This record gives sequence, C-alpha cells and structure tokens, in this order.
Amino acid sequence: MSDVSTGVAAKAATLVSFKNTSVTYPNGFTALTDVNLEFHEGEFIVVVGLSGAGKSTLIRTINRLVPPTGGDVNVLGTPIRNISDANLRKTRRRIGMIFQNYNLVRRSSVLANVLTGRLGDLPTWRALLGLYTKSDTDLAIKCLTRVGILDKAYNRADQLSGGQQQRVAIARALAQQPRILLADEPVASLDPPTAHQVMRDLKALSREEGLLTIVNLHFVDMAMEYADRVIGLHAGTVVYDGPGADMTEADFERIYQRKIRPDDMRGAAEH
Amino acid sequence: MTQKLRSTLILLVVTPVLLWSMAGMDVTPARIAAGFPRAATMLTDMFAHPDWEYWPIVQQRLIESLQIAALGTFLAGILAIPFGVLAARNLVRSPVPSTIGKVLLNAIRTFPEILLAYAFIKGLGLGAFAGVMAVAIHSIGMLGKLYAERIENVDKGAIEALTTTGASPVAIFRHCILPEVLPDFVSFVLYRFDLNVRSASVIGIVGAGGIGFILGLQYQAANYPRLGLIVIATIATVVVVDSISAKIRQRLA
Repeated sequence: MSDVSTGVAAKAATLVSFKNTSVTYPNGFTALTDVNLEFHEGEFIVVVGLSGAGKSTLIRTINRLVPPTGGDVNVLGTPIRNISDANLRKTRRRIGMIFQNYNLVRRSSVLANVLTGRLGDLPTWRALLGLYTKSDTDLAIKCLTRVGILDKAYNRADQLSGGQQQRVAIARALAQQPRILLADEPVASLDPPTAHQVMRDLKALSREEGLLTIVNLHFVDMAMEYADRVIGLHAGTVVYDGPGADMTEADFERIYQRKIRPDDMRGAAEH
Repeated sequence: MTQKLRSTLILLVVTPVLLWSMAGMDVTPARIAAGFPRAATMLTDMFAHPDWEYWPIVQQRLIESLQIAALGTFLAGILAIPFGVLAARNLVRSPVPSTIGKVLLNAIRTFPEILLAYAFIKGLGLGAFAGVMAVAIHSIGMLGKLYAERIENVDKGAIEALTTTGASPVAIFRHCILPEVLPDFVSFVLYRFDLNVRSASVIGIVGAGGIGFILGLQYQAANYPRLGLIVIATIATVVVVDSISAKIRQRLA
C-alpha cells in the first residue's frame, strides 16, 4: 500500500484530470458533455445525480471501461484516450474498482478472489500457473484482515452475505496497491447499516492510504455525510462541485431538477 | 387455419409417405405373422437360457468397451477445450473466430460414430484403438459446443472486475473463467461418458473392439444363448454406469 499519508491538503498531487471530456455511446446517447475536473490524492469524492445523468460513465471513463470520444482524461500522468492496450493495463493496475454487484468469482475462495488483485503485477507465466509469490499472499491476507473477514478466507465467495462480499471486493481492490479507488454504486444492493459500514470502511481507507476515492451514490444523505467533495451531474454536465458538508437542499434540487423525495435518502446508520 | 383442417392435411401427407415406405420393404401381414414365432424362439433362446460359460469372454470385452469409452471421452474432454474457447462468442470482440469454431463443431458432429469407426479401422486396423479415436472425435463435437455455451454464460461482472485490475486476457481466463466453468465441464464429460459407453458397445460390430465385436460375431453365428448373455451384460453395465455418473453429476452441481 502507498506510503503517502496526505489528507486533503491543498497541494496534493493531481491524479485525474478531465479535459473537455465528452462521451457519446455507439448508440448515439451522449452521457458526458465537455467535463472539466481535477481529482487529487487523498480526496474522497462522491458523485451524485439521477440515473442516466452520467455518474457511472464519469467513473468508468477514468479506467477507460468507457473510452472518451471527445477531449481526454489524464490518469496518473497518462492521457488515456488513445492509450495502447499494454499501457492501459499498466495504468489500470493502480486503479482499484468496486461494483454494485461485487463481481467476485463466485466459485473461488475469498482468498483466491483477493489474490486476483495481484494478477496485473504478476508475470504471465506465474499468472497462468497460479503461482503467486509469498509477498502476494501476505499482502492478500493483510487486505483481508484490513476489511475484517480474514476468518472467511477459505469460504467460497458465493457463500458470503452481500456486505461480506463487498468487503472481499474492497480487499481485492486494495491488493492492487492502488492510488485511485473507484466505487460504482457500492452500497445500492445493501441494507442501511451495512451500507454505512461499507462507506465508513471506504472513507477510512482513503484517509489512511491517501487514496483518491471516487464513489457514485444515489443517496443525498450519504453523500453529505461522507464526501469531502461532491460532484453533481445533470444530463452529462457538472452542475455542482463543492464540499459535501455545506450542501443545501437547494443544491440537491438543482442537481436532481426536482424536489428531494424520501427514496433519495438511505436512512441513518445504526452506529 | 382450423385445427381440423390442419389435422386432415397432416393425415393426407403422412399416410402416403407411410404407405410408400412400407411398399419399399415388402411388409405384408403374412410376413409379420410368420415373424412372431421366429422372434419368440430367438428371444427364448437368448434370455431363458443365456450361456453363462461364455461369461469370461463377455467380461473381458465389456471391460474393453468401458476402456474405449473412458479413453475416448477423456481425449475428447481435453481436445474440446480449445474448440470451446474458439467457439465462445464472448472472449474476443470479433465474431469471426466464434463462427469458425461453431461451423467446425457442427461439421464434426455431422459424422456418425459408425462412419468414423470405419474410417479409423481403415487407417489404424481392426481393434480398440480405432474405437477410441472414433468415440473421441465424435464427442469433441458435442463437448465443444457445450463448453462454448458454458463460457458464454460466465458472469460478465467478474470478467469486468478482473479487466479493471490490469490483468491480461490469459490471466482472466485462468482465474475467472476457468474456476467458474470447470465443474460444469467435468459434468458434461461424465454425461458424454454415459453416451460413449453405449457408442463403444455398438461400434464394435464394425470391428472397432469391445463388446460389439463379439455381439456381431455371435449374431452371425446365430448363437442366441451367447447373444443373450452379451445383451444382458451390456444393458446392466449401461444402467450401472448411468446411475453412478448421475450421482456424481448431482454432487458437482
């Protein structure tokens, strides 16, 4: 894991910068229009917006699951729009990602799943034979300890609860020794207490490792509670960019272009 | 179109076809009547007094059939993997390799085992090895298709997740796709083994080793008590293999 222990210092390094970035999908739908943003080391960013506003596209453009079609995105010092496959894999190694549906290899053990986070750094022959090094295994165990489920290391991934599976996914991302952590609706499938637990874990990791963390959320209250900085998207453009704590209902209504409803709230954590 | 009209039309087509087929075979009530007592004598000879003296040879040939089936299935199980990978639509962006793979697999399945057996007997000589090859090649067609379909059903999310770690396609195949599909591949292979025990018994009739070989011999010699033992032993073997394999496949699911 990274040694850097920067908080949200003003002079933190820029890890991601969107430069006039646009994304139009092959079916003609424009998901992002002329986005300009800079994300820094150690920032905990929450992206909010209605479904279809471009939240997911914004996150997925950073690791180029979705290629930009206009402008460019500079990620860890590399412009990614016309990046080669080899360089893309190299850049992706330092970007962890977690998903709404956890996306684990269901029939494999928890430990095997976390170890897959090491595959990017492993020579192909070792990957092919499944010959992880001692330090890979040590790191995987450290990551499992970190998310508090080392006791499940030899369980099959699909035997775990949703919250536990999401923690395995976080451990897998940590095993990459990332500098950036992307989370695409990480709590949408979880009950409120578990959702808050996962958000607290993500926030703590971001602090302790100096990780730039970018989380997509639908829930207004969670965004305000956890975000250092909130990015509000509407119809593919940035309509809000500011600290989470001092957001008002009016700000959210500008992002959502309607009144806030009860289902926009996740509800309080049972601390 | 009403139900009645459709039934009438079907009858108008089916009846002439049936009559035509029967005419070609010279089927007459008299022949059928004469056939019954002959069949009854044969069946009595076969199953009322099977020739148990003949058991050692039957046993030896049955084991040979099982060996042909096992070896042929094993070879096919391995050789079908590259075909399955090639034919799966979701591994590469281009549809070309998948189409080529599917056409190849269909072509392989078109050849009945018995034709393959004749071909391999020509090439390799009479005996079990020709049987192994016939079983193996024919099975690749079905196994490759099942493998490809299974790979196409692999969870897209897990593949996406490993893609984002920077893992190479080879590593993703090994650590994401393989662990998910392998238990099902084993299940397919076991099922194919069931079918191949039957095939391996039959193709012996044309000289490709196993129980079929003595089945052909005893039939030509009209030795019905021996034939009876062969048939009983073959059916018993197939039933036992089926039930064992079904139990194992249940465990794998």
